[in-house]
Amino acid sequence: MHNPKQDVTHRYEYVRADFLKHLAGTTLVVAVLAVGLSLLFREPVRPALHIRTVATSTPLLFEKVAIGDLTGTGTIATYGPPYNDATGNVQSPLQKLVGVIHPVNPAQDFILKPLSMAAVLNPQVAAALRAWHAAPVGQRDRWAANYARGLAHARVVGTSVVMPSGSYGPVAPMMAGLLRLGQSGLMTGALNRSPADYQFDNQNALLFLQGAPLHQAAKKLELLGNQWGIIHEENAPFPGPWWMTIVTAIYQIPYIAHASGGDAVALSLGMLLFIALMVGPWVPFINEVPRRLRVYRLIWRDYYHRYEHPSAPPPSTPPGGGGPGE
Amino acid sequence: MNWTEYVRDKMGVLLSVDTWLPRDLPEYAFGLLYTLGSLTASSFVVLVASGILMAANGPQWWTVSPIGFFVRGVHFWAVQAFFFFMVLHLLRVYFSGAWRGGREKTWLLGTLSLLVAIPTAFTGYLMRGDFYSQWNAVQAKDGLNAMGFAWFNVLNAGQMYGMHVVVLPLVLSVLIALHITLIRVKGVVPPYPARDEDEAARREEEGFADAQS
Repeated sequence: MHNPKQDVTHRYEYVRADFLKHLAGTTLVVAVLAVGLSLLFREPVRPALHIRTVATSTPLLFEKVAIGDLTGTGTIATYGPPYNDATGNVQSPLQKLVGVIHPVNPAQDFILKPLSMAAVLNPQVAAALRAWHAAPVGQRDRWAANYARGLAHARVVGTSVVMPSGSYGPVAPMMAGLLRLGQSGLMTGALNRSPADYQFDNQNALLFLQGAPLHQAAKKLELLGNQWGIIHEENAPFPGPWWMTIVTAIYQIPYIAHASGGDAVALSLGMLLFIALMVGPWVPFINEVPRRLRVYRLIWRDYYHRYEHPSAPPPSTPPGGGGPGE
Repeated sequence: MNWTEYVRDKMGVLLSVDTWLPRDLPEYAFGLLYTLGSLTASSFVVLVASGILMAANGPQWWTVSPIGFFVRGVHFWAVQAFFFFMVLHLLRVYFSGAWRGGREKTWLLGTLSLLVAIPTAFTGYLMRGDFYSQWNAVQAKDGLNAMGFAWFNVLNAGQMYGMHVVVLPLVLSVLIALHITLIRVKGVVPPYPARDEDEAARREEEGFADAQS
């Protein structure tokens, strides 16, 4: 019996089908497809950016990042929750509410602690660190600020940074020592330290790199947010994570791309769109859209042909080929 | 009927071979368009199988072993197939108005599966351990922190590994299982009534309304 409220036909017949064969068939198709594509095209790998590479090929950039961390003017030092109490990247009250649950003090965690390890191997770093710790806070700040200003006029000779003359105190040997630590390849380990010595958490190494080093590398590969970056994969033939196209598209809207709380707005908008998709069946008019679009006439073309043209033969075998299911 | 009888009856239907492996299906549920859901589920099976193989060998297997690299490739192409077939399936069910006839929850569970599949795949990209992982992690952290999800620390590979190989696939498996269960129990949505059937129903309704007035 037809029920207009449910809007479904009850006028159809059942036909024989081998459902198990259908499921086995689709699984075989996907397995062969995935194995075949893996054999044929392999898969994308884009080499990681190592701190060692940054320190060796762009020593000036490495030192600029490091001095920003030491002076407390870097992007993480000024970020805010969940890393610290600053306010530079607080985009919503929720972010503040969650609080500092992954505490990071860039001067201590990114610079002074790794240097204290380097000091065991390098007496010059040890002496510089002693001088740093013995100096009043105001003096340390002046040295570090002078060094940050001096870096604007520094030169790179080989893999070293040559500073113009200035009042840098122990900051100069500290930075030189940190650069050597970075070039040695040991700095990643010095940053990612868990109390148990098992390394599962690479938060601090990524936070050290997350500013200019990763952004400059990403820009060359057209991976920045305003370059539709997150859905890009490397060179053809590899597809990227295209299923995030909608969120990526939201980031291209100029207002959102330039807003201080752009991430919060973009993700909230993406989530709202998704919720709209989920609750569509309960929303009047929206749940009527497919009926009005009439694309279903194509999906069930054979069915309508049969019932609207009664002379058509009854279904004795599965019509249309292909498998049964959803 | 008391509740134990009720549960027994329901379970009898739910667990029956006729529900899960039917011999007869409605005539409208055939053809390539009706294979897309099964292809999505089959892609998930291939993803789980290749994923278990990778998890058993540790997160760096693919970097040191040619076999591991190959299996990661299977996993990579399977996730592409999974989303490809899922989006086509979504389009087919959307244009079918597949929530009709009391099937709203089936739709809800399907769309929820898509929602959960996105972070499941995303955490997989974080497991590659290459530039793509580094970049996605630092890019995603700002949005997650802003939304109050800082606990989901994309910079912590250990946490993300647990999320990718256990927590999110488990949630996704449950959602997909419930989605398929509802399809099997409720049946595949029938077509919109054909023109003549629709008109007959309308005439019947109008007649009923006239009789009432």
